[in-house]
Amino acid sequence: MRGLYAAIAVIGMGVPAIGHADELPPAMDRDRVVHCASDKEGTLWRLQCDPATKICLYAPDAELASDGARAKPLERARTCEVDLPFDRGRLEAEGYTMLPGRPDAPWGWMRDERGRVFQVNFDLKKRLYFGVGYTPKKILENPLQSTRTSIDFGLFSFEHHERGGDTRHRIRLVEGEVHLEPFSAELVVAHYDMSRRFTNPLLRITTFVGTPQRHDLHLNVGMWSEIGGLEIHKTPLGHSQLWKHAAAQITFDLWQSADLSSFARVRTGLALEGQNTDVTGYRSALTAGSAFELDWVLDREGFHNLRLEVAHDLPRYFVPLEYTGKLAQRFRAKLQYEAIILAINDQPLTLKLAAGGEKRDDVPGIPYQWAFVMDAGLRFSLWAPPRPRS
Amino acid sequence: MGAAAAALLIAALAPSVASADARCTGVMASGGRFATCFDVGNRLSFTAGSDGFGGGIAVRHMIQFDDEPDLVWKLEHHIAESTHAAFEDRFVGVVYQGRYLRHARDGHIVLPLGTPKKVFLPFDIGARTAFGAIRWRPGEGARIGVVEMAALVDVSRSRGFRRRFAIGPLARWEIEIDRAPLAITEHTVMPFSSVIADLYVERANGRTTGELRFEAGTVWRGTHGWKPEVRAEASVEHTILAINDRPIALVAGLRYESATDEAIARVGARIVLFDRRDPRARLAPPARPR
Repeated sequence: MRGLYAAIAVIGMGVPAIGHADELPPAMDRDRVVHCASDKEGTLWRLQCDPATKICLYAPDAELASDGARAKPLERARTCEVDLPFDRGRLEAEGYTMLPGRPDAPWGWMRDERGRVFQVNFDLKKRLYFGVGYTPKKILENPLQSTRTSIDFGLFSFEHHERGGDTRHRIRLVEGEVHLEPFSAELVVAHYDMSRRFTNPLLRITTFVGTPQRHDLHLNVGMWSEIGGLEIHKTPLGHSQLWKHAAAQITFDLWQSADLSSFARVRTGLALEGQNTDVTGYRSALTAGSAFELDWVLDREGFHNLRLEVAHDLPRYFVPLEYTGKLAQRFRAKLQYEAIILAINDQPLTLKLAAGGEKRDDVPGIPYQWAFVMDAGLRFSLWAPPRPRS
Repeated sequence: MGAAAAALLIAALAPSVASADARCTGVMASGGRFATCFDVGNRLSFTAGSDGFGGGIAVRHMIQFDDEPDLVWKLEHHIAESTHAAFEDRFVGVVYQGRYLRHARDGHIVLPLGTPKKVFLPFDIGARTAFGAIRWRPGEGARIGVVEMAALVDVSRSRGFRRRFAIGPLARWEIEIDRAPLAITEHTVMPFSSVIADLYVERANGRTTGELRFEAGTVWRGTHGWKPEVRAEASVEHTILAINDRPIALVAGLRYESATDEAIARVGARIVLFDRRDPRARLAPPARPR
């Protein structure tokens, strides 16, 4: 093998200059063969030639220290071919140009000018997250305190979709938020929903006016479920706890992205819940619920994420309430935008902006009128691997 | 996990990467062998002490990557840990408590604006979570810790589990309830307004461990508004003997809370019912040469 290296034309170049991040040399293509070859001093280099552009990129087979010295092996680089011959003289005779480049990086990762790898694509649908939100209202005497603070959390979010598959499963465990002053809290212990793309249309309508034409009507049906939901509100009349024991709904996707990670859908179904208030005690209800949901990953890298939910619940109590009778109403709408602003050790920190409104008559002490709230906050996520390559 | 990394992911229990170590295997004059090293992170244990009796399940493991050998995720889980007093109505328990630390040789921040830039940091990061903590005692209501989260910065930068000094902002939501009749009396929320510092050391043989946890900051209470609050807890565990290579340890601890202005000490014994044998201990006799 050493003889082969000796036969390899000399890769006669020095240590590449350390440039600024904005002037990065081109990166090698992860999906194409990378050669490794030694120079006269026996130092190993990575090389990749493109027959279409007649350009060969070369880069050190190591991460570089700030002074340009080779510091450590490359991380997440593909294995380079050392058994294939690499003849620089022949390549240059054929018109190839040698240019400094950066070693290859996997999908969702990139390298800086020193060959150090870092993640630049994040799947926020696979993560553990927690965050804090604030509104501008502050206590003047103590600017470190806010009367309108909130925390939100999701201890496990996971989505499964096989590449090219027609089904996406979504699981979320222990997800919720807590608002202070006025106090309210929401928690869902376990959530599962599933979207499916049906390749065969539900209805085929053929029209015979003029040239016969076929019109397909697709109905992408899925399901949505939650177990162990809890809502707590504190009102002038005391505490109200809403225990959402179990909910199951059928979903109809109005729009789906190719990988089903983004969607717009309506859902409807039933839930069994119980309400305990300091005023009325405990009573159970069967609740009909409907909602429109939009979950949209706006860019390929997963940096911008938009969610909208408009929902209506109609609890029907087994024992009538004094102030609403057997039926109550709950309307809510929430719009949320989440954007990655930086990553710490490849774990993203995101900015969350949210606005929401609610109108309900099922909780004693909450007036039956629309109430609006806005939040701005930061979320820290763990895991968040790169989004699958589409 | 990247697409390539996913294929190369190795999820393994941490000790499995260790090789046999003569210091972890004792040999009797008769040739019998016994373990002198123990895996304190993977076990089902029973504890009896001055604060009552109880137990819990501990699991810890690492996730490593073939294509990035300098990166390791250290995951620790504590499941169904509880203690009930023997002679009074006192209970402390938690359904799940986890700590996830991402150790990398190169800590860094990526600024993704424009061309992404990498700025290096000298620490590991991670998180601590807990869900379903319950505590009650005689004459008082119960306190339910619904959820707890902390973002951690681990400055010890240890590749293994034996050393940790992690600090970070802490969030917690607790509900205080009257037990008869059942009613919520108070909400306590810490919206990342406190700081937690967590120091842990474990001897290489796993026979002695020590942990010191300190929390300080401001807490919001539904009836009192914002108040400063401090909590501190220290614990030590030292294995004094083993039966059938399962350790029995003395445990001692001290806990202080400024909200109640109480400091409570405890001492007891911990019996390991099942554990993952430390792979450095080679209990099978060496094969005879043919």
